[in-house]
Amino acid sequence: MSSEAINRSRAVDWSLRAYIVLAYAFVFAPIAASFVFSLNSDRFPSIPLGHFSLEWYRAVASDPLVWQGLGNTLVIGLIVGVVSTLLGFGAAYTDYRYNFFGKQVYLALALLPPTIPVIIMGLAMLAFLSRVDLSGRAISVIIAHVVICAPFAMAIIRLRLSQMDPALEPAAWNLGASEWATMRHVIVPFTKPAIFGALFITMAVSFDEFAIAWFVSGLNETLPVKVLGFLQGQVSPRINAIGTFVFVISMTLVILAQVLLSGRTGPTAADKE
Amino acid sequence: MRPRLSIYGLTFSLPLLVWQLLFFVAPLAFLVALSFWTVKNFTMRPDFDAVNWITMYGKPVFWQAYATTFALAASASVLASVLAFPASYAIAFKLSDTARRWAVFLMVIPFFTSYLVRVYSWQIFLSDAGIVNVLLGYVGLGPYPMLNTVGATMVGYMTLSLPLVILLQLFSLVFIDRNLIEAAHNMRCGRVRTVFEVVIPSARVGLVIAALFCFILTFGDFVSPVYLGGGDPTTLSILITDTTKSGQQWPRAAVIALTMIGTLLAVAFFAVRFAYAGNAKGARK
Amino acid sequence: MQRDTLVSFEGVIKRFGSFTAVQRMDFEIKKGEFLAIMGSSGCGKTTTLRMLAGLEAPSEGTIRLSGKPINHLPTWQRDTPMVWQSLALFPFLNVRENVEFALKMRGVGKAERQRRAEQWLDRMQILEFADRNIAQLSGGQRQRVALARSLVVEPEILLLDEPLSALDAALKVRMQSVLKNLQRETGITFVYVTHSQSEAFSMADRVVIMSRGVIEQIGTPQEIYGAPRTRFVADFLGSSNIFTGRVRAASPSAVEVDTPDGPLALAGGNLPAPPRQGDTATLTVLDTKTHLSVSRPTGQANVVPVRVIGEEFVGATATVYLETAKGQEIRVQKSHDELAGLPLDIGQELFVHWSPADSHLVAEA
Repeated sequence: MSSEAINRSRAVDWSLRAYIVLAYAFVFAPIAASFVFSLNSDRFPSIPLGHFSLEWYRAVASDPLVWQGLGNTLVIGLIVGVVSTLLGFGAAYTDYRYNFFGKQVYLALALLPPTIPVIIMGLAMLAFLSRVDLSGRAISVIIAHVVICAPFAMAIIRLRLSQMDPALEPAAWNLGASEWATMRHVIVPFTKPAIFGALFITMAVSFDEFAIAWFVSGLNETLPVKVLGFLQGQVSPRINAIGTFVFVISMTLVILAQVLLSGRTGPTAADKE
Repeated sequence: MRPRLSIYGLTFSLPLLVWQLLFFVAPLAFLVALSFWTVKNFTMRPDFDAVNWITMYGKPVFWQAYATTFALAASASVLASVLAFPASYAIAFKLSDTARRWAVFLMVIPFFTSYLVRVYSWQIFLSDAGIVNVLLGYVGLGPYPMLNTVGATMVGYMTLSLPLVILLQLFSLVFIDRNLIEAAHNMRCGRVRTVFEVVIPSARVGLVIAALFCFILTFGDFVSPVYLGGGDPTTLSILITDTTKSGQQWPRAAVIALTMIGTLLAVAFFAVRFAYAGNAKGARK
Repeated sequence: MQRDTLVSFEGVIKRFGSFTAVQRMDFEIKKGEFLAIMGSSGCGKTTTLRMLAGLEAPSEGTIRLSGKPINHLPTWQRDTPMVWQSLALFPFLNVRENVEFALKMRGVGKAERQRRAEQWLDRMQILEFADRNIAQLSGGQRQRVALARSLVVEPEILLLDEPLSALDAALKVRMQSVLKNLQRETGITFVYVTHSQSEAFSMADRVVIMSRGVIEQIGTPQEIYGAPRTRFVADFLGSSNIFTGRVRAASPSAVEVDTPDGPLALAGGNLPAPPRQGDTATLTVLDTKTHLSVSRPTGQANVVPVRVIGEEFVGATATVYLETAKGQEIRVQKSHDELAGLPLDIGQELFVHWSPADSHLVAEA
């Protein structure tokens, strides 16, 4: 970059930097506002700010339906995370290890679901699941969420596998480890950071998903569906309180995933010299 | 040795395949079947009747919503691409490696915040007594009605898609060989001209894919048109929820959903073809 | 030295789809020998090694280990440990755990595992690094870990797939002597795949030269270097001058070949099969066996007038590049002393000559 220095203009550079700040301001304005107004006393949030208050958190905390929604969200998120990660791991390993007729179709099935609009997924899921008597239950949300979360898990774990020396697996076989033993002693330990990364990311995706859950959850509303309910009713700063709360949980998961995914790349990179 | 079929291999390959066939392909296939069912006295009956297709495609409301949705999503894609490009360009070429990593990390955060909450937050900004109007009032302007307008819907669409568009653009820009840019400068290609003659053609695939994802996201979104746009004009997603929530008209909703999927597939097909069409003459990334 | 056969390849063919990587291969590996398989990339040398290791199954033919067919034995049931080009050390295990891996997979108890691993770590002089991460080791240390990891099961045979290719030149030479000594001391059969002539020829008892899935020649380094059997081998080794012509006269004791640059002779005893008159023939002479003179030497059989086109110094020797009137290139390698006094300016006209006893006929294909 330094070689470009003489071709740079200060004015252009600074206006571009200012533009970056502007873009991030736009993206983070609603997130920041939601946080600020969750701690603000006004019934109709605006400026000037009222005084500091935890009343919206209290209101939320005293609503048994919110607690129920949170419980549903956590249980569903945990199960979705585990199942999606298991399925995604299998698919990622399949893509890494095998070549077969129809692999393109397999990969399409493994990766496409998140590109279908959630509203259509929700509609199709509800129609189908009620047909097979699986709608309106927690399990219906789990089933639907795994469909859209497994591809994320697969992508994350596949990326990790592509960082693995392709000779590692045959090397373990060659040293007397059967395929199953190699899976246990080589593939899983190597991909472990990505496995946990995928677990946390898929949990976070499930935590925030509202459209499909809204369609199929019935009475087992998750927290985001509850937020949708608040949004449909009167405008209430309680949304800010829930939003901030969910944001903190999600970010904790994402940062955990980030630490896991970036933490242990050293050995493989150095291995190739 | 790569055995074609083994219990070991199938243990890993089959679960996802079975799951997606059962709970992804089957529901979409069922949606197709559903679109041919009939509704009598608020109950659905399995049938093979094109009546839903004929009814829906015969309604001006449907075509109006279709045109609105398509136009909104297309404008959003153009707008997001144009708004995102200077930012992703600057992040790719004007920031240090550390700053760039931070920029990417920050841009990932919005994906893990509730879209609903962010849209609600925009209501706080845009409502008649909201932050923006209060600020305008300080300088003696307004208030302007901003909520429940197409502009507010667009703000929502940008909230939804801008982070993804910036990230996708960024990933295609950082892979451009910097020597190309220096070579262009070296051949007396000016700064702005270099962007149009070298940078954009080199990053073409990524730029088109970013716009395509914006289209996919906004085309199916119902949150922004409802909670920021006030449900007017009606989009296809609003039409779907209205149709399902009222009177068991699921087969008709299925028609709308399938039309949307068909549209998305067609747009994706042409976008990808357009993205790669210039590759033969343009620089490969 | 008569040795028992450890491995035999019998009519082994390997195809990948429509591509044939190894074409009907028959050869034997003797117990306790250091065998190098050499060739350029894509010649089938690595595929051969992988079939022996059980990582690829032969399409046809039989591979025997100690007389028993092993074609369909999975690699984890064979004792054919391999040292990989990338070394393939497990990055999430430390040095000790890497070395213990094979023992653990064989169900060896913890105490025994530790004892045997440490014995090999000690032997490879890396015991002090036992608890380090792989990432903390230098290239040479990793090499030793890889060797210890494979040898800890005390196999009859060790397979090595270009294990030195990632090292710098000096370390490479040092590791070559480590490997050679290790092989001598343990008596373990080494099968060493490489594209490097210097590695193969400096370490191996016998060398297999492959090209396009076919074995071109098997022999000791001296045999191959002194008398390449095919034109490919002569070309590949790069130290022979090669002439092509038509056989003018052939007897069991001598052959004369007409080439564009005149008749060339070779003495009997160097004939793989006696050629017939009129056959096309290719003959070679090592660049170290050719001589230069300013005036036409008398009483010599093979004399070719040439012009100097270049000169290259490598350490104590120099190679003179020459060209005949017909455009045939000839190289002469000599010590600096031997070249002293010869005018070697570009364009200088000289004579190359060599003894018929130093010429060899090679097969064209």
